[in-house]
Amino acid sequence: MSATQDKKEDQDRIQRRVNKILEARLESDKDTLDALNGLSSFFNENTLQNRRNLRSQIEHRSVGINENFLKAFREVKLSLDAVCTELDTMATSVQTMKSDLETSKALTKDLIEQTNTMQQERDRLEVHQQIAQAFLARFQLTVPEHQLLYGSAKDAPIVADFFRVLDRVQSIHSDCRLLMQCGYQTAALDIMEEMTLHQEGALERLYRWTQNHCRNLENNEIGPLIVEAMRRLQDRPVLFKYVIDEYAIARRAVLVRLFIEALTEGGHGGNPKPIEMHAHDPKRYIGDMFAWLHQSIPYEKENLTLLFKKCDKQDISDQLQAALGYIADGVQHPLKVRVETILNSEKDTIVLFTLSNLLRFYQQIMKQVVQGGSLEECLVDLQKSSEQIYLHSLATQVRSVLQRPSGSSMALEPPQRDLVPPPSVSRLLNMLKEILSVATMVDGRQADITKIVSCVIDPLLQSVQESAAHLPTVDMGVYLLNCLYHMQSTLAVYEYMDERVERLQGQSDAQLDTLTSEQASSLVANLNLGPIYTILQSNQSKIETNLLKIFTSKLDAFLELPDVLLLPQVQLIMSSSHRATVQKRAFNVIVAIYKQIYERVHDPANGFEQPDQLLHKTPDQVAHILTA
Amino acid sequence: MSKIRGIANKLHERIDCLIEKCPNMTAAPYNYNYIFKYIIIGDMGVGKSCLLHQFTEKKFMANCPHTIGVEFGTRIIEVDDKKIKLQIWDTAGQERFRAVTRSYYRGAAGALMVYDITRRSTYNHLSSWLTDTRNLTNPSTVIFLIGNKSDLESTREVTYEEAKEFADENGLMFLEASAMTGQNVEEAFLETARKIYQNIQEGRLDLNASESGVQHRPSQPTRTSLSSEAANVKDQCSC
Repeated sequence: MSATQDKKEDQDRIQRRVNKILEARLESDKDTLDALNGLSSFFNENTLQNRRNLRSQIEHRSVGINENFLKAFREVKLSLDAVCTELDTMATSVQTMKSDLETSKALTKDLIEQTNTMQQERDRLEVHQQIAQAFLARFQLTVPEHQLLYGSAKDAPIVADFFRVLDRVQSIHSDCRLLMQCGYQTAALDIMEEMTLHQEGALERLYRWTQNHCRNLENNEIGPLIVEAMRRLQDRPVLFKYVIDEYAIARRAVLVRLFIEALTEGGHGGNPKPIEMHAHDPKRYIGDMFAWLHQSIPYEKENLTLLFKKCDKQDISDQLQAALGYIADGVQHPLKVRVETILNSEKDTIVLFTLSNLLRFYQQIMKQVVQGGSLEECLVDLQKSSEQIYLHSLATQVRSVLQRPSGSSMALEPPQRDLVPPPSVSRLLNMLKEILSVATMVDGRQADITKIVSCVIDPLLQSVQESAAHLPTVDMGVYLLNCLYHMQSTLAVYEYMDERVERLQGQSDAQLDTLTSEQASSLVANLNLGPIYTILQSNQSKIETNLLKIFTSKLDAFLELPDVLLLPQVQLIMSSSHRATVQKRAFNVIVAIYKQIYERVHDPANGFEQPDQLLHKTPDQVAHILTA
Repeated sequence: MSKIRGIANKLHERIDCLIEKCPNMTAAPYNYNYIFKYIIIGDMGVGKSCLLHQFTEKKFMANCPHTIGVEFGTRIIEVDDKKIKLQIWDTAGQERFRAVTRSYYRGAAGALMVYDITRRSTYNHLSSWLTDTRNLTNPSTVIFLIGNKSDLESTREVTYEEAKEFADENGLMFLEASAMTGQNVEEAFLETARKIYQNIQEGRLDLNASESGVQHRPSQPTRTSLSSEAANVKDQCSC
């Protein structure tokens, strides 16, 4: 069995092999093709020999090929070995380097740390520096500013930037307060102190400059810097005042110069003419001087106002007024000398009075412009002395009129027969009229006029009375009444005469009384009323019919022509109203007496027979005739 | 017309006001270049003070009291872009002040001679006023004749033509004006100033003369070094 099996197995195996070979497709098996290709290169002849040797041959060839491989790989290996060695060296080097690095790293670590610290420090310091710079910029002056403030050179002029710096100093000063609130007291106080010093120094410099500038103020050019400087200086009242003083001194000198120029040189080319050209015409001369002065003052005032334009911290009007006064005072002396010369040489009372008026006018005008100061005082003095001078002159003139050329005592020409006031009275009254009609430019000059009137009228009255003293009563009364009337009528048209006229009226009244009684007595005598009147007074009841008859016949004649019995002097009374008064009052006396007689006669108790036959006119009829 | 003038005046005032306030302008402390002195003359009651008041205050002053002696008024005007300060002396017309007012003619650059068109007597006195003016002022003084109260046409006694002829004969400038309405008041004062300015430009008026009635105020003083420095500073600021 086995044998068969084996045989079968063999058979199968072989079969399989054959199948395999048969199945193998050699043309598509590449390896086989290659192998066959290779084989064909050396297996040229299919001989037995060759077939036998084929194996070894192939093996031989294989060995050769392997040897070649070996050879080639040896070289490769050698190269690789070299590479390997180099790599090893590199590795060593790297190792060394690495350790080196480690070492340096360890070494530099400190340094780096230090650098970092320093860098931080530097950053911090930079910030500090910036702060400090900002602080300095804010709280300190720069060098140029400092220079501006103190001037690069001595006497360097002030420039506009100076004020900017000064403002900065001030603002720094006030900023320090803030600084102080933030807790930097020491610094703040230091800076404040420094700024105060700066300020003081700067103001001192400003003061010197301003003062100097004001001193050399020729054309009165007040620049913007001066105006600004004054504004700054107003915080320092003393310096401020000194500057104003200096300014006033300078302007005062200029004003005096201009005044003298106007007096002596006049305008350019002699037009307008110098004021002194008119020295022969006192009114014009003095008027021109004052007008010039009056017109110069607004200009000075304006300049002062300009100087103080920016000074607003306090009321400087007093200072302005004082400065203006000081400036104006300069002309006082030249003015006074000239005015006094004129006043002392002028003889004409009326001119003197006009001048006095002019002086008073300007004194009042100037008082409104320049108050206080010696100019005002000087004007008051001049005015007073002018008043004295004209009053004196007036008195002299009055005296010379009242003095008779030959006589030494004060007396008038003796009254003439016509009892009119002598020409001297008219002359004096005309003079007075002239004075009173001089235009007074100042109102309320009552005192002046009263003085003038007294100065003329009082001595005149006295003379008139003296010259009348030796006249008979009636003549004296009429003469005085005429003189008084003349005066009264002259004065009545002027202002402020009420009191004087009243006094004259009083004197006139006295004369009227005298004249009335003289006239009445004369009438009584002429009408033969004397005895009858005596009886009436003595309460005797019986009046002699004879007396009454004489009386009635005289009365009838009198009533026909009442004027016949008037005193001749009464006709010489100049004033018709005075004349009428005397006449009327005298007649009234007669009427009153007649009435008494009439009543007595008509009283039945007295036993007159036919009283109507005796006195055929009623008192009313008599009164009517006499007063018609 | 008067409305426009009113507006112009107001504008003018405002500009003046602005200029005064404007800080840049403080560089020149004088807000004027010249001062002209004027004098106003004429009979009593012709309205001299009212004209002045109208000119300086732009208002009519009713019941104006008589002037005592002389009064004084100022106003700044503009001629050719130059600011001119007018310093005006208003004189009393009353005869009693004549002696005083005569002294004020001295050195006036302009004289305004006023009459009242409704009162012939004031016109008839002009020749005596003119004689006074010619005698007491410079030959270069500008004389301006003003016929005031032109608003009172119904009571007019002096015709425009007659007065104009008088003015021409005597070489006077002439206008009829009304201090009440303000008509021509401004013109009279300004025309006078223009004429004076023209005289200055033509060299007929010597500014150096102390009593020419004109004072010059250079707005940029060049005399002192400090001002030129200030100018430099100003230049630097503007860049």
